[in-house]
Amino acid sequence: MKSKIKRHNKIELLEHWSIALSGIVLLFTGLGCLPLYKRYYISEIPGFAWTADFYNVTLIHYFASIVFLCGVVFHIFYHGVRKDFALLPKKGDISNGIKVLLAMIGIGKEPPSEKYLPEQRIAYVGIGFIIILLLITGIIKILKNLEWILLSPEVESINTIIHTLSGFVFLLAFIVHVVTVLIFPSNWPLLKSMFTGYVDEEYAKHRHALWYNKIKRD
Amino acid sequence: MNLSRRGFLTLSSVFCSTLLVGNYVDAAKGKYATLIDIDKCDGCKDQSIPLCVKACREYNKDRFPEPQKPILPYWPRKTYEDWSDKRDKIDTLTPYNWIFIQKVKIENEEIFIPRRCMHCDNPPCVRQCPFGALNKYPEGNSVINDKLCFGGAKCRDVCPWHIPQRQAGVGIYLKILPKYAGGGVMYKCDLCKDRIKKGQEPACVVACKERLGDKAVYTFGIREHIYDLALKRAKNEGLYIYGDKQNGGTSTLYLSKMPFEKINNILKALKERFQMPVEVENKIESTFNPIGKVALLSGAISIVGAIVGAIKSKKNPQKEQNNEK
Repeated sequence: MKSKIKRHNKIELLEHWSIALSGIVLLFTGLGCLPLYKRYYISEIPGFAWTADFYNVTLIHYFASIVFLCGVVFHIFYHGVRKDFALLPKKGDISNGIKVLLAMIGIGKEPPSEKYLPEQRIAYVGIGFIIILLLITGIIKILKNLEWILLSPEVESINTIIHTLSGFVFLLAFIVHVVTVLIFPSNWPLLKSMFTGYVDEEYAKHRHALWYNKIKRD
Repeated sequence: MNLSRRGFLTLSSVFCSTLLVGNYVDAAKGKYATLIDIDKCDGCKDQSIPLCVKACREYNKDRFPEPQKPILPYWPRKTYEDWSDKRDKIDTLTPYNWIFIQKVKIENEEIFIPRRCMHCDNPPCVRQCPFGALNKYPEGNSVINDKLCFGGAKCRDVCPWHIPQRQAGVGIYLKILPKYAGGGVMYKCDLCKDRIKKGQEPACVVACKERLGDKAVYTFGIREHIYDLALKRAKNEGLYIYGDKQNGGTSTLYLSKMPFEKINNILKALKERFQMPVEVENKIESTFNPIGKVALLSGAISIVGAIVGAIKSKKNPQKEQNNEK
């Protein structure tokens, strides 16, 4: 049996999947909050008739937001307090990130990486920013509907537009994230580790040499 | 991140007290309301067009849509909503007619109901517009921003009375993805927003008063006064009220000697586009808001759990041995 190295603990896996799965539900119902599904016959697909009613779609959006909100704030506070900052960008990440991406399509050699790949760290901050934007504007929407806060018409409009537009950016980021994991075989061990928590020692030694050496040193 | 225990406790108590106090914060009800006395309305029988309708059309005529033609259908569908050839239609709500007089025959008596936006206290159209194109103003009116409106008609779907009406071939959607997204601009009564902002009465109210004086169908004024007046008259004269409870309350109150159940039964039987259901639940208040509270509370609990969990895991670093930081 191949020797394994622990990459993610159960908490991290739970964070990732709670955010990912609720994020998918939020994206689907978020698109459904736009008047799209009836027009595009989605509501006529067997099992999707419920999407024709905005109240149904919004209800599920609200429920999924509970999981999403909990997942994201837990992630921020848990790792913030623990000072787990391995996913935050470092100097040289842009140039190294480009090298990693080029290597994925067979151009050049991939530089040795730490636990996370340089472009992963950049993507993390990017997607994190979008998620925070969605969360803040979403919370403002909840508060506004509760009438716990009263917004001026202009602020109300701006908040709604930011939520809708950043939803589209989130959709785009989500697609890029999933596609990059799925189409490049070099990333498949990372996908596996998102389910099991472990990567093969050989993979870590080869691709995440800096991380691997650090673990071995410690 | 360094958050002291005291700092954390202060933060969470502020958050929790906001949650609690929030229950008692009064809804933003708006400054004005309209009372519509159905029993006084004769539909302006002596006029070619009811005066309130005429005044509304006249006052808002510069804001009516001028669509670019040919109008594209809402792909992949083959339809689109175009009222531009029916601008003279006054017996229903259209993008060119924001108020109409609904005629109903009940027990050999003809009654006339002026129909327009109810201007809800917690309007689903405003709360659910995904483009932020609808706003609730401090005066109590819900207003469509025709510069932002994509014409998806969601507001019409979520409105219990299906008031907003769509005109294709106008609006911001033409500049973005005219074939694939959007459908025009929605139009409806905004209670003559510029007039009421200046303290003037809406055009329909003024026109009715000019014809009927003290016996005018409409009474417009400070919300509390209008509510008091309606409740007092309902009690003293044995009248029925509509609009005070429906959809969690609105800025438009109808008074009638005829029960509204009876009126709506007729409207329902006639399959009228615009009915007056008596039971109108505001789902934002009854369904979404409780879940919203749970979401906020869960978020707060999650923060507490995260901080406690992180502190505990720091105290037991051996458990995390294989984990890189």
